[in-house]
Amino acid sequence: MSTVLEKSKSISGRFSSFRPSPRLVRGVDLAGQWAAPIMCVVVLIIAAIFAPAFYLPTNLKTVLIQIAVLGVVAVGQTMVLLVRSIDLSVSAVLALGAVIVVQTQAGNSLWLAFIEAFAVAALVGLANGFLITKRQVPPFIATFGMLVFVQGARLAYTKGQASGTVPQILRTISFQEVGPVPAALIVWIIINIVFIVVLRYTRFGRWIYAVGGNPSAARYAGIRVDAVIMIVHMICSMLAMLGGLLLSGYIGYVDLRMGADYNTNSIAATVVGGTTFTGGRGNLFGTAAGVAILVLLLNLVVVLGLPIHWQLAMQGLVLVFATALQGFRLFLLNR
Amino acid sequence: MAVAQTSTSSSAAHRSRKLIAFLRNNASLLLIYGLILVVGVYAATQAENFRTISNMANILRQTILLGMIAIGQSVVILTGGIDFSVAMIARVVALTVATIFAAQNSNPALIVPLILLGLVVGVALGSVNGLLITRTHANPFIITFGMANILRGVSLAIATTPIRGIPREYLRIYDTKIGIIPVNVIVMALIWIAAWIFLNRSRLGRAVYAVGGSERVARLSAIRVNRTLMAAYMFSAFCASVAGLFILSRSGVGDPITAEGMDFQSVVAVALGGISLYGGRGSLWGTLGGVLLLVMMSNVFNLLQVNIYVQQLFLGLIVLIAVAAYKSPRSAT
Repeated sequence: MSTVLEKSKSISGRFSSFRPSPRLVRGVDLAGQWAAPIMCVVVLIIAAIFAPAFYLPTNLKTVLIQIAVLGVVAVGQTMVLLVRSIDLSVSAVLALGAVIVVQTQAGNSLWLAFIEAFAVAALVGLANGFLITKRQVPPFIATFGMLVFVQGARLAYTKGQASGTVPQILRTISFQEVGPVPAALIVWIIINIVFIVVLRYTRFGRWIYAVGGNPSAARYAGIRVDAVIMIVHMICSMLAMLGGLLLSGYIGYVDLRMGADYNTNSIAATVVGGTTFTGGRGNLFGTAAGVAILVLLLNLVVVLGLPIHWQLAMQGLVLVFATALQGFRLFLLNR
Repeated sequence: MAVAQTSTSSSAAHRSRKLIAFLRNNASLLLIYGLILVVGVYAATQAENFRTISNMANILRQTILLGMIAIGQSVVILTGGIDFSVAMIARVVALTVATIFAAQNSNPALIVPLILLGLVVGVALGSVNGLLITRTHANPFIITFGMANILRGVSLAIATTPIRGIPREYLRIYDTKIGIIPVNVIVMALIWIAAWIFLNRSRLGRAVYAVGGSERVARLSAIRVNRTLMAAYMFSAFCASVAGLFILSRSGVGDPITAEGMDFQSVVAVALGGISLYGGRGSLWGTLGGVLLLVMMSNVFNLLQVNIYVQQLFLGLIVLIAVAAYKSPRSAT
C-alpha cells in the first residue's frame, strides 16, 4: 500500500515540477477574490490625480448608468457562469429587445411589446439551455451560434435599418434622476438584491451552486440539473433583455451596432469579480465590483482623451488578465 | 464444394460488415461530402452562373483562405481547445506588413524579410496564447477571445483606413502560378499535407489526439501536455498569419477589416467537418469538406441574391444544427 502511495507521489512529482507554497496559494486566492474592489479604489484615486474631469456630475451620471446597464447583464452572466455554462448571446438579445419594443409600440399596447420582448428572450434562453443540456453542445459554441442566429434574425427583421423612437417609459426608468442617482442604478440595485437573496437564501440558489460545484453529485442528490441550467439560461437572457431596454432608454435610439460589446464586457466583469469558469465559485458582490472597475476603466479611456480603440484593447486586457488569474487560482486550489 | 460456398458467403458477409464499419466510422465525412454534392447539384440546376468555370475558381479561391485558417483551427480543436484569435492574428499580421511597406516607400526588396517578419509576429502571438493557456490553466476560449479583443484594438491603433503602398510584386504573389496551379493552392496543399503528416504520423500529432481525449490521462501517460498545446496554438497562429499575408496580397491594400468573421467561420467549418468540439476525434478530411460546404453555401446564397442578413440567419441556423447533430461522446455528468 505504502509503495503504491509512494509511487503515485513520485509520478506526480516527476510531472509537475512546480510546487506552490501555501502562502502563494492563499495570496492568489485572495487576489482572485479581492482584485476588483481593490482595483476600483486604485482606479478612483488615479482618476482623481490624472483626470479630474472624471468627477464632473455629468460624467458621473454617465458612469452610473453604464454601470447599471452592464450590471444587470452581468448578474445573469454570473448565474450562468456559476452553473459551468457561459452565455455569448447576451449582446444579441440585448439589441433584439430594444428593436422589438421600439418597433412594436406603434399602434400596440406598450405592455404587449414588453411581454413579447421578454417572451422572446426566455425562448432564446430556453433554446440555449436545451442545446447545452440535452444535446451536450459546448456552451460557448451553442450560445455563439445563437448570437449569430439572433443577430441575423434581428437584421432580417429590420432589413438592416432600425427606426422608431424609444418609448417615454424607457427614458424614465433609465435616465430620470431619483434623488442624486439615475433611475437605472436603482433598477440595478433592486435586481442585485433580488438575486443575492435568491442565490443565498433560497433552495434554487443552493441548487445553482451545487450544480456548478459538481454536476454529477448534484444529480445524485436529486437535483434536476438540466432544469436548473435551462432556467438559469432563461433568467440570463431575460436580464440581458432588461439591460437592452435600459440601454435603449439611455441612448435614446436604436442602431445596428447597439450593445455589441456586452458579451466581452459582461464576461470580463463577472470574471474580474471572482467568478470562475468551472462553476460553483463566485457571488454577485464580486460581480458588482467587477462591473464598476470595468466601466471606470472604459470611461477613463474617454476622459483621458485616448483614442477610442484603446477601449477595445482594455476590455481584452481585463478579460485575459482576469481569466488567467482565476484559472491560476483554481489550479492552485485544486491541487 | 459446400466448404467453398460457405467460405465465399462468409467472406461476403465479412466484406459487408467491413463496409458497414467503414460507413459508421466515416458517417460525418460521408454526410459532409454528400451535402456538398447535394448543394452543388441544387445550385447547378437553380443558378446558371454557378456552373461557370470562373465561379468554380472563385469558390476554390475563397476555400483556400478560409481553409488555411481552418487547418490550424482543427489542430487546436483536436486538443480540446479553441482559438478565437485567428482572424485578428491574420489582421494584425497583414496590417503590420502593410504599414512597414507603406513606410518604406513600397520597396520590393523588403518582400521576403517582411513575409518572414509577419510569420514571426503571428507565431509570437500564438505562443502568447499558448503560454497563457498552459501556464495559468485558464479557459482557452476566453483567453483567445480576450486576445482577439486586444488585437482588434491594436489593429485599429495601427490603421483605421486602408493602407496603400504595397509593392506591385507583392500583389502578384496571389495570382502567381507554378505550371497551371496557383501558388496559393500549393501553399494551402502544403500546409494541409504537413498538418496531416504531423497529426497522423508523428508522435506529437498523436499527443494532440491524446490531449484532446483526456488531458489528465495524457498527463499521466507521460505525454508532454504543455508542449503539445503550445505547438497547437503556435501552428494555428502560423496558419492564420499565412492566410493574412495572402489576404493582403489579394486585396492590395492593408484593409482594417481583414479577415472579419473568419474566426467563427473557421470554427463552424471544423465543426461541420465532424471534428468533435470536445476534442480528440475527427480528421482533416472533414475540415476540408466543412470549408468547402461553407464557402459553397455562401456562394449559392450570393448567386440566388439572398439578403446578407438572411444569410447570417442561415449561418447561425447551420451552426446550431451542426453542433446539435453531433452528440458528445461523454455524458454531461
